[in-house]
Amino acid sequence: MNNTWGDMAQYDPLIWNWIIAIYLFMAGLSAGSVLIGIGMRWYSKDKSIESPILKASAIIGPVAICLGLACLVFDLTKPFHFWLILINYNFDSVMAMGVAALMAYMPLGFIYSIIVLRDDLAKWKLGFLTPIGNMFLPFRKVIEVLMFVLAIAVGAYTGFLISAMNAYPMLNTAILPALFLASGLSAGAAGNLIVALTCFNSSTHDGEVMKLHGLDLPVIITEMMFLFMLFTSLYFTGGAAAESLASLSQEVWGSVFWYGVVGIGFCIPILSMFLPSSTRHTKAMMLTVACCSLTGVLALRHFIVYAGQTYIS
Amino acid sequence: MNKRYVMVHDENKCIGCQACNIACRSENNVPEGVTRLQVRVEGPYGEAPNLHFKYHRVSCQQCEDAPCVSVCPTGAAYIDENGLVSIHNDKCVGCMYCIAACPYKVRFINPITKAADKCNFCKDTRLARGEQPACVTACPTDALYFGDANDSESEVALLLNTKITYQDKTHLGTKPRVYRIPTKRGGIES
Ligand code: SF4
Ligand code: SF4
Ligand code: SF4
Repeated sequence: MNNTWGDMAQYDPLIWNWIIAIYLFMAGLSAGSVLIGIGMRWYSKDKSIESPILKASAIIGPVAICLGLACLVFDLTKPFHFWLILINYNFDSVMAMGVAALMAYMPLGFIYSIIVLRDDLAKWKLGFLTPIGNMFLPFRKVIEVLMFVLAIAVGAYTGFLISAMNAYPMLNTAILPALFLASGLSAGAAGNLIVALTCFNSSTHDGEVMKLHGLDLPVIITEMMFLFMLFTSLYFTGGAAAESLASLSQEVWGSVFWYGVVGIGFCIPILSMFLPSSTRHTKAMMLTVACCSLTGVLALRHFIVYAGQTYIS
Repeated sequence: MNKRYVMVHDENKCIGCQACNIACRSENNVPEGVTRLQVRVEGPYGEAPNLHFKYHRVSCQQCEDAPCVSVCPTGAAYIDENGLVSIHNDKCVGCMYCIAACPYKVRFINPITKAADKCNFCKDTRLARGEQPACVTACPTDALYFGDANDSESEVALLLNTKITYQDKTHLGTKPRVYRIPTKRGGIES
């Protein structure tokens, strides 16, 4: 490129890349998994046993958020100064509020996991943690409620984080946090199912597993509704907002949306419901559908991050 | 806040020579590959033989309602006592939230300090010495004006009162402090 004014590289509108998309996915997965695990515990009749679904969420919750944060920290241009974020808070900033929420969510998440997994820890040579679990057991109810609230905050904040930028019409909408929370729930449900079936030998006919399976359709419908609302609102806003809809027919991000989000994430799980119940409830089928949901959610985060930053108002 | 520093870019006088760009680079030690200021020559617009170009100054707009400041988690991006949008290098972690949030896309990561960087109206260099910003001084056609718009006697206040000016992307509510005098075309007097 030849021009009189110099290098244009720094003016690339794409600032946040796939690493941020993965972080947003991981945070959504962690929050969704915790919400589903705790929600189903409150809903279930027998509270004396730790269900495989809750145990799965006790693993996914802390692990996913730690992996996500690792991505985030190494994406900083000064990763070894990340602690500055922990001591300086600008409470106008969604990121600062998110960090504050995570500061409570992470330690509490570990404690809650130790409580839930207290009888399994010895199996993984982590028996020394069991006393901690027993110590916090009396406060379980409070921790559970706090975790539930914090998980909603974490799940929605990832949406607020990118919707707070009025430069990008596709991101700057109130629907995004709701969409992210809903798709985080679908990732959480799928993740819990996979871990419960593979690590905790849960049967596909387990009551909890069946209940979780029944959540698929309503969550997918909610997600589709939010996406539809997002696109119609962009359309009626006009200008750069309406132009950003072109990303739906663009080569790369159009395919990610139609094949990844709609095809794999929505259509396969919905179509699987029409299979005969004997096939539908096999372990292989359930795992496949859950993997499809996860892929769909991951594709959605990528689509939003990339297509969203392509159009500037 | 009693000062209101503004910059006025007269697009009639500008010839796109990039003298401002280069002066800025040397005054503020801007490293290779990045820049605080570019004057983009856009166009041509219109029908031959009446073609014309637009000279578009691309630099921090010193927004009064700056999105880069409100999103910064650590407060590294801040507004100083004179209202200038500035950056504390040692508080910045390089999360690039400000860079993403700036609707004018004029922030960048300084490859040396690894902190966010941009035009600050030369506040650490020339302004600190009581001089005009480097770009203003270097401009061969005097297309740039800089000063305190709150001072009704100042050149910029006079200009803003007498000339038609516009600012970029006012619909976003950022209240930019870079004003532009649009090119006047087609009339006999132009
Ligand atoms: S132009 Fe961009 S960097 Fe400058 S003050 Fe406005 S938002 Fe911040
Ligand atoms: S890159 Fe630095 S200045 Fe910009 S928002 Fe992040 S911490 Fe603040
Ligand atoms: S005011 Fe100073 S820092 Fe800003 S563009 Fe001009 S020379 Fe560069």
